[in-house]
Amino acid sequence: MAEYKGIHGTKVQDYTTDPDNPITGQVWYNETANTLKVESATTVGAWSTGGALNTARRQVASSSVGSQTAALCFGGDGPPVYALTEAYNGTSWTEVNDLNVARRFIQGAGTQTSALAAGGVPTTAATESWNGTSWTEVGDLNTARGYGSGVGADNTAALVFGGEVPDRAITELWNGSAWTEVANMNTGRQQLAGAGTSTSGIAISGATDTGATIVANAETWNGSAWTEVADLNAGRIDLGGTGTDSTSALGFGGANPGGAAALATNEEWNGSSWSETTNLNTARRQVGGAGTTTAGLAFAGEAATGVTAVTEEWNGAGAPQVRTITTD
Amino acid sequence: MAKTYQYCVAENWGKGFIDHVESSRITFKGYPADVWQVPAYNKHGNLWIAKVGGVVKTVAEAQAIVDAEVQAAQAVWDALPDAEKAPALEMNTRPTDITLEE
Repeated sequence: MAEYKGIHGTKVQDYTTDPDNPITGQVWYNETANTLKVESATTVGAWSTGGALNTARRQVASSSVGSQTAALCFGGDGPPVYALTEAYNGTSWTEVNDLNVARRFIQGAGTQTSALAAGGVPTTAATESWNGTSWTEVGDLNTARGYGSGVGADNTAALVFGGEVPDRAITELWNGSAWTEVANMNTGRQQLAGAGTSTSGIAISGATDTGATIVANAETWNGSAWTEVADLNAGRIDLGGTGTDSTSALGFGGANPGGAAALATNEEWNGSSWSETTNLNTARRQVGGAGTTTAGLAFAGEAATGVTAVTEEWNGAGAPQVRTITTD
Repeated sequence: MAKTYQYCVAENWGKGFIDHVESSRITFKGYPADVWQVPAYNKHGNLWIAKVGGVVKTVAEAQAIVDAEVQAAQAVWDALPDAEKAPALEMNTRPTDITLEE
């Protein structure tokens, strides 16, 4: 029988702790735990628990671009309406400087070090820019709104769309100093999710009629126009979103109109269709999201009996993981 | 009748409470009052309950714990002024009853 060394050219090494950066397929023996381990890749996406927010809340905004280990959560509602901002480092949330104006259902965009908070409820056009340390008031939206969505790479390039306004299709582009109206969405909507950037984004589900009628489809943004694409399997409102561009996104949580219970439903967009994938462990609506479809984050929201501080981390299929080799 | 799920009470401490491998092996469902549903007769479910120090409950016991939490939340909602009960946009609705599955 071939030996491990004969196949791989190396012996299985002993370690007192797991190696910091193992390569896929690497096998080692952890002599502290007396277990044989291998660096492998996940075959299915799943949610694990992350550190809880310091302040439980719903209706938050988030920096929707960036890594699972560097997210920003701002605003929201307990009640009361919060100006609180918290930063996540992959393990825990830390309170940082507050927004200048407390609000909820803000359209957020950017990263943990460069973000934008546009509009919100009570209905406002106010926009604030985050430089990694503090918020500064900058140019107002042309149309005051909340209940919409925002995407963007940083605080110099963002897109805001939808919301509770007479024309829910209005889209505005931020260039670092001012907002400009650009092409409308095909179907105006509110209480939707968004993912991507101001040059390649996606608007996910939501509702018309003041939140009463579900819009099940998604629309993708190519930098100049919206295109209607496939329906979600389960259209809903108040869901969260993650994703880097118009070809990959997650839509998770949310609710049906009419006071229905919060949902754990999670769907993944691959650029052409939506497929149901592993649910959140804790069902919730009005949830915040950050990261990508391979390493995402869901936090805050309203669960079955009230606001929640629970954070969940999404690792998509193919993510690296250490597994213990068993022989029985 | 063989049960499909088992329940336990365990406080979610955050990172590591449910890890990715556990989540990819079994389906977790969190309920109010730190009640967790995992598959019954499942080695991975049993190992997870042991890891988190979960206190195993029968369905009836778990249902009673969830009911108490839901009813408390409903009482809080019922006591709100009418003006705060109906903002449709926020879906600020009365918490609904939850029925646990066998």
